[in-house]
Amino acid sequence: MATQAPPAVKKVPEEKPSVIQPMIYKSVVTVYRIFAIFTLYLVLVGVLAYGFVMGFYALSTSWAAPVILSPADDKSLDFTEKLVTSRQTLEDLNVDKKKLEDGIGEMQKHRAALEALEPELKRAITREEQHNQATGPQLLNLDKLKQADILKTQAVMAQVKEVEAAIDKDLAAGLITKGDAATQRAALNQVQSAYTDSKIGEILLTDNILEKTTVDTKSLDVLDKQAELISEIAQLDIAISVAQKQIYEETKQIDRLKAALNTAKQTPYYLSVSGGSAVNFAFVPYDNQTSASIGAAVYDCYLNMVLCRKVGTVKQIFAGEEHAIHPIFRTDIRGFLIQMQLDHPESAKSKTVFLNRKPLFF
Amino acid sequence: MAPVLVWLILFLCLMISLVKYTLALILKWSVPAATVKKDYSFQPTVSVLMPCFNEGKTVYETIESISKSNYPNDRFEVIAQDDCSVDDSYEWMLKAQRDFSNIQVRVGRNSANSGKARTVCNALQHSVAELMISIDSDCIFHPDAIRELAACFSEPKIGSVGGRVGVRNPNDNAITAIQTFIYYAAFQLYKVPENWTRSVGCISGSLFAIRRELLLEIEPKIRSRHWFGIPVNQGEDRFLTHQTLLRGYGTYINNDALCWTTVPSTLPELFKQQLRWKRSIIRDLFYTLRTLPQHVWTLHPNTVLTLVLTPLGALLGLLVVLTMLSGNPMELAGPGPLIGYLAIAAILGWVIRKYSVRETVNNPLAFGAYLAWSVVSSLFLTTLALCTLDSRDWGTRTKEQNREQEASHGDASAASR
Repeated sequence: MATQAPPAVKKVPEEKPSVIQPMIYKSVVTVYRIFAIFTLYLVLVGVLAYGFVMGFYALSTSWAAPVILSPADDKSLDFTEKLVTSRQTLEDLNVDKKKLEDGIGEMQKHRAALEALEPELKRAITREEQHNQATGPQLLNLDKLKQADILKTQAVMAQVKEVEAAIDKDLAAGLITKGDAATQRAALNQVQSAYTDSKIGEILLTDNILEKTTVDTKSLDVLDKQAELISEIAQLDIAISVAQKQIYEETKQIDRLKAALNTAKQTPYYLSVSGGSAVNFAFVPYDNQTSASIGAAVYDCYLNMVLCRKVGTVKQIFAGEEHAIHPIFRTDIRGFLIQMQLDHPESAKSKTVFLNRKPLFF
Repeated sequence: MAPVLVWLILFLCLMISLVKYTLALILKWSVPAATVKKDYSFQPTVSVLMPCFNEGKTVYETIESISKSNYPNDRFEVIAQDDCSVDDSYEWMLKAQRDFSNIQVRVGRNSANSGKARTVCNALQHSVAELMISIDSDCIFHPDAIRELAACFSEPKIGSVGGRVGVRNPNDNAITAIQTFIYYAAFQLYKVPENWTRSVGCISGSLFAIRRELLLEIEPKIRSRHWFGIPVNQGEDRFLTHQTLLRGYGTYINNDALCWTTVPSTLPELFKQQLRWKRSIIRDLFYTLRTLPQHVWTLHPNTVLTLVLTPLGALLGLLVVLTMLSGNPMELAGPGPLIGYLAIAAILGWVIRKYSVRETVNNPLAFGAYLAWSVVSSLFLTTLALCTLDSRDWGTRTKEQNREQEASHGDASAASR
C-alpha cells in the first residue's frame, strides 16, 4: 500500500466544561456505588444464606412441617364423605340384618306350624286308609247283594207293565173306579221309583267301593297337599339358610366397617373433621422419624432455624403414610403426621418446627 | 401487572429466539437475499487497525496471519497500536514489522494506557485507507478474511461488515467446548435473520470492517463515551455497530470471513469476559431505551426488537432464576433441561463436525454443563454487571505491573485487552 500522509482528522471541538455537570455525575456515581456495594453484599449474604439453608435442610433430621387441616381441604372433604357413607352403610346393614333376623324368626315359626301339621295329615291319611280297607270289602259284598236285589226287582218290574195294562182294562170295563185306578197306578209308580232308586244306590255304592278300594282323586288331592306342605317346609329351610348366610355376611361387613371406622377415628382427618377445639398437626418425613416420639418437645424458630423456643409437645403419632412437598426443595417426600399439643398456636403457621431438640443449639 | 409484563417480555424473547433460529435455517437454505452479493473485484484500500495490550508473542502471530492475506499487498496495511503494554508486545510488533516486509506494517504506541476503543481511534489517525478493519490482536486470520470483508462493501448501503469468529481451542476443556457451540450457533444461525435485514445488532470486535468516513464520523462519540463522567472503554464493537445502524447504514456478518480466537479456558477468565460483555449489553440497552424514539423511527423493527428485547430478556432472566430457586430449586436439577441441552449439543456437534472440522468438539456432551453456567450467568453476572457499570477494568489482560501503573497514574490509565 502506498505510503501517504494521513489526512488531518477533525478534532472534536472540546465543549466548555460545565461546573455543575461533574458534580451531578459525581453524586450519581457515588449514590450508584453505595447502592451497588449494598446490593452486592446483599446478594452475597443471600447466596450464603441460601446455601446454608439448603445444606441445613439437607442434613437436618429433626424438622417437621406444621399442617393445618381444614375441614374444607380436599382430603378432609373426601374423608368426611367416606366417613358419612360408611356410617350410612353401617346403619343400612344393621337395619337389613334386623329385618333378616325378624324374617328368619317368622319363617321358623311358620315352619314349625307346618311341621306340626304334617304328622296330623299323615295320621288322617292312615286312619282313612285303614277305614277304607275295612269298609271296602263290606261294601263290595253289599253291592253284590244289591245287584241281586235289582235283578229280582227287574223281573218284578216286567210284571208291573202287565198290571198297569190290567188296570186300564179294568177301568175301561168299569170294574174299578178312576180313583182305584189312580191309587193302583201310584202304587206302581212307587215300585218303579224304588227300582230306579235301587239302581242309583247301587251306582253310588260302586263309586263308594271304588273310592275305598282304589286310589282316587280325593286321595291324590290329599297327597298333593302333603307334598305341598313338605315343599313349603323345604323352601322355608332354604330361605332361612339364605337369610342366615346373608346375616353372616352382613355381620362380617358390619364388623369390617366398624373396624374401619375405629381406624378412621385414629386418623388426623377424623380429629380435624369431628369439630371441637383446634387440632395441630405436623408432617414428619421418614428421614426424621427418630425425632418423633410422644411427649417430645416441639421447637419453633425464627428464620426457620435460629432463636428457637419450645412451643409444645408431640401428643400423638399417626401410623398412616402421607405424602408432602418438601418445604425447601419442593420435592415429593413420604412420611407421617403427628398431632402437636401447642402452647403457642401461632406456631402451627410456621414453615417448619423442630422435634426433640433445637436445630442449632440456640 | 408487573409479573405479567415480565413474563410477556420473557415470552417475546423466547419467541424471538425460536423464530430467529428457525428463520435462520429457512433463510440460509432458501433465501438468496439473506446474503450480500459479494463483488470480489471491489478492492478498496484497507487499513487493518490492530490495538494491542499485553498480548506478547501472539501479536506477532496475528500480524503473520494477516501478512498471508489473499488481498493485493499494495491495497492494505496493518496499523498496530500498542496501548502501553507492560510485557514485550511492542517488541513483537516491531519484529513483525521487520519480518513481514511484504506488507506495510505501521507500529505506534499510545502515550498513556487508553483502552481498546481509543487505541483504535489512535490507530485511525495514521490511516488513509477507504476501509477500516479493526481486529483483535489475539486472533489468527484466514487468508481470505480481508477479501471477503471488502467484497461486501460493494453494496453501497452496507456500513459495517463483520466476520465469523471461530474457536482455536475447542477441546481444551468443557469451558472451551461450550463456547465453541455458542460461537458457532451465534454466527451461523442467530445472526442470519439480522443479516437478512442488514441489521446485525453486534458485530464482533475481533473482525470488524467499517467505511472510513463512517468511522471518522463516529470517532468523536467513541472518544467521548462516558458513564456519568467515567470514560467507557469496553464494548466498542457493539457501540460501533449500533452507531452504524443509527446512521442509516446496514450491518452484515460475512461468515466466509474467518478469524480464529483463543477463548477463555478457565472459569475466572470466562467470568471476567462475560461480565465485560454483559456490561456492554446493559449499557447498550440503557442507551437504546434513552433514545428509543430515534430507534423506532430510524431502524428496522427487527433491529429495535433485537436491541431492546434481547438484553431485557437477559436482565429478566435474573428474576426467572430467582423465582425458580425460591420456588422449586430442584426444578433446575431435573433431567428435562439437561436432556434439552444435550440434544442441542448432539445436533450442533454433528453440524460442526460436518461443516467446520477445525472446530470439532471431541466431547459434545460437555455442553450439558452450560445449564449450570446459564444459572450462574443469569444470577450473578447480570447482578454484578448492573452493579459495576462504573468499572473500567478489561479483566482478562490486566497484569500486576499495570495495576501499579494505574495506582500511580490515577484515572489516566485504564485496562485494555
